[in-house]
Amino acid sequence: MKKYLIMLLVLVMAAANAQAQGRKSLRINEVMVQNDSGYVDDYGRYSAWIELFNSNFAPVEISSIFISNDPENVKKYPVPLGDVLTRIPKRQHVIFWADGNPSRGTFHTNITFTPGQENWIGIFDADGSLIDEITIPANLLPGQSYARKIDGEGAIGDPEAWEIRTGEMGNTVTPSSANVLRETNKKVEMFAEQDENGFGMAVIAMCIVFSALLLLSVCFYIISKIGAKVTRRNKAASHGIDLKEVEKSDRPNHDTGEEIAAIAMALHDHLDAHDRENTVLTINKVKRAYSPWNSKIYNMRDMPRH
Amino acid sequence: MSFGEFLTSNLTEFWQLTGFYNATWQHFVMIAVGLFFIWLAIKKDFEPMLLVPIGFGILIGNIPFNTEAGLEIGIYEQGSVLNILYNGVSAGWYPPLIFLGIGAMTDFSALIANPKLMLIGASAQFGIFGAYMVALLLGFAPDQAGAIAIIGGADGPTAIFLSSKLAPNLMGAIAVSAYSYMALVPVIQPPIMRLFTTKKERLIKMKPARAVTQNEKIIFPIVGLLLTCFVVPSGIPLLGMLFFGNLLRECGVTTRLAKTASNALTDIVTILLGMTVGASTQASEFLTTETIGIFALGFMAFIIASTSGVLFVKLFNLFLPKSKKINPLIGNAGVSAVPMSARISNNLGLEYDPSNYLLMHAMGPNVAGVIGSAVAAGVLLGFLA
Repeated sequence: MKKYLIMLLVLVMAAANAQAQGRKSLRINEVMVQNDSGYVDDYGRYSAWIELFNSNFAPVEISSIFISNDPENVKKYPVPLGDVLTRIPKRQHVIFWADGNPSRGTFHTNITFTPGQENWIGIFDADGSLIDEITIPANLLPGQSYARKIDGEGAIGDPEAWEIRTGEMGNTVTPSSANVLRETNKKVEMFAEQDENGFGMAVIAMCIVFSALLLLSVCFYIISKIGAKVTRRNKAASHGIDLKEVEKSDRPNHDTGEEIAAIAMALHDHLDAHDRENTVLTINKVKRAYSPWNSKIYNMRDMPRH
Repeated sequence: MSFGEFLTSNLTEFWQLTGFYNATWQHFVMIAVGLFFIWLAIKKDFEPMLLVPIGFGILIGNIPFNTEAGLEIGIYEQGSVLNILYNGVSAGWYPPLIFLGIGAMTDFSALIANPKLMLIGASAQFGIFGAYMVALLLGFAPDQAGAIAIIGGADGPTAIFLSSKLAPNLMGAIAVSAYSYMALVPVIQPPIMRLFTTKKERLIKMKPARAVTQNEKIIFPIVGLLLTCFVVPSGIPLLGMLFFGNLLRECGVTTRLAKTASNALTDIVTILLGMTVGASTQASEFLTTETIGIFALGFMAFIIASTSGVLFVKLFNLFLPKSKKINPLIGNAGVSAVPMSARISNNLGLEYDPSNYLLMHAMGPNVAGVIGSAVAAGVLLGFLA
C-alpha cells in the first residue's frame, strides 16, 4: 500500500511539474516604456505595455503568475484568477498595460516605468520562481520598443537576444503580434533552394527509413536469439536434461510441413487411422443479418382493443 | 404581387436552388468517376470497403447546389454536417484511428520470425522519394511534392495524414489517388514482378518461418514504438497508434479492446473517412491540371515502389547463402497495401509452383511496409512541416 502511495505522490508531483513546465515557456517578448502615439488600450489611452509570449506549442494558463518591476517585491502584480483571457494559445502573445491602474481590468497592472533610466521587468511563477526577466535600456525614446529579435528565443535576461525597435520600416513595433513576420515556411524554402532536384531529401530520408527498420530488425534478431536460449534453458531445467540434448532435439532432421501433411493423408486414406469422431458435432454459427428495423413486426401497431 | 407572380417567383427561386440549375459538366464528370468506383468495387471486387464509401462520397460531394445560398450543406461550409465529419480528415485524426485498428488486426509474427524482411519494407519506400524528385521536376513546391509522393507508400491513412499537414489543398486528389491505386494493386504489380524476375527466381522456396513466442509478440510493439519513434518522433501519431493497437491484440488481457479497435472502431472510421474523402472531391476543387499530375505521379510512385522492392530482394539474395534465398516475388509486398500485395505475391508464386505458398513470407515485408511508410511520412513531416 505504501509503495502505491509513493507512486501516486510521484505522479502528482510530475503532473504539477508539467503545469510548471508550461509556464516556464512564457517569455517577456517586447516592452514599450513611453507610448505616445502607438497602441491604444481598451480605454482609448496610450500607456506603456509589456508583451508576453507563449513559446510553447500548447496553451498556457497564466493566472496567478506575478509581473514585477521591483526586484525587492517580485509579487507586485498577481495576474488575477477567473479570466478566460489569461489562457494564452500556443505561440501567441498577450499585452499587459503598465499604466499603474489595476482597477481597470486583468491586463492593467500596478506597474509604471520611469522613462530615461533603466527599467527592470520580471515575471515569476506562483511559487515566486523566476520565469523570465529583462532590463530595458535607458535610451529608449518615446514610441520605441525593446523587443526580442525572434519571438521567444534567447536566454533569460540576455540582452544579445533583444533589440530596440524604432518603429520605422523594417524595424517595426509589433504589440500583440509576432516580432518576426513569417510569410513562408523556411524549411520548405531551404529545401527548394538547396535541394532543387530532391536527391538530397531522397538520400537523407531513405537513410533514416533504412536505419529505423534496420535497428528494429537487429533488435529483434537479438531478442529472438535470447528468447530461444531462455526457452532451451527452461526446457533443459524442466526435463532435467543437458542443454546440448535440448539443442539436438530442437534441430529439425526431417521433413517439411508438406511432407508431414502427405504422410498424414496417406495414413488416413490407406489405414483408416484416424480418431473416432462419431460423437463430435461441429456447429457453425449461421449469421443472420437481423435487426429490429427489418422485422415487420416492429412496423405494426398493436391492434386496438374494443 | 398577384398570386401567380408569387408562385412564379418562388418556383423560380426553387429552380435556382436545384442541382439541375447549378450543374456544370465538371459535376457530371465527377459523378461518373464516383459511379466508376462503385462499379469497380461491386462488380470487380476491387477494395470494396474503400471504394464503395469513396465512390458514394464522390456522388454526395458533387451534387450541384447553390453555394451562395448559405444552406450549410457543403463539405467546405463551416458548421455543416459534412464539414464536421470532414474534421477527422482535415485535422488528421481519422488516420491514426485507422492505424490503431490496423495494429489490432495485424499479426507481426512473420516479421518477428524473420527480421531481415523488414529491410524489404524499407526498400519499397524508394517509391515515395522517387516520386518526390519527379514532383519537384514538374514544378510542385517541396511540401506539395512530399504530400504527393507519399502515395508511393501505398498507405491511404498515411497519405491523408501527411497531405492534411503539408498540402491541405491537394488532400482530396491525393487521397483518392492513393486509394485508387491501392485498389488497382492487383493490376499494377504482377507485370512488374514478372518483368524483373526470372523463372528460376520465382520458383525459390523459402523455409517456413519459425514459431514466435507470445513474449516476442508482446515485446515487438513496445520495442518497435520506442525505436522507431526515437528515430522519427514526428511519426508518433501513426506509429504510436499502430503499435498500441498491436499491443492490445498481443498482450492477451485486452481482448475486448483489441476486438473493438479492429472491428467496430475501424469500420466506423473507414466509413467516415471514405465517405468524407470522396465528398471532398468537389468538381470545382478537384478537376484541375494539378489533379492529373497527382494521379500520374501516384501511378509512377507505385511502379517505383514495387520495382525497388523486387530489385532489393534480388540484390539481397546476392549476399545470402543458397538455403536462405528469398523469393523476389515477395518484394512487391514492401508497399504497405496490407494484405493485398502479400496476396499478389502468393498468387503469383502459386502460378509458377502450385506448392509454393508465399503468403506468410510476404506478410513480413508487407507489415514492414506499413511501418516504413509511417516512418517516411514522419521524415517528410519533420523536414517540411
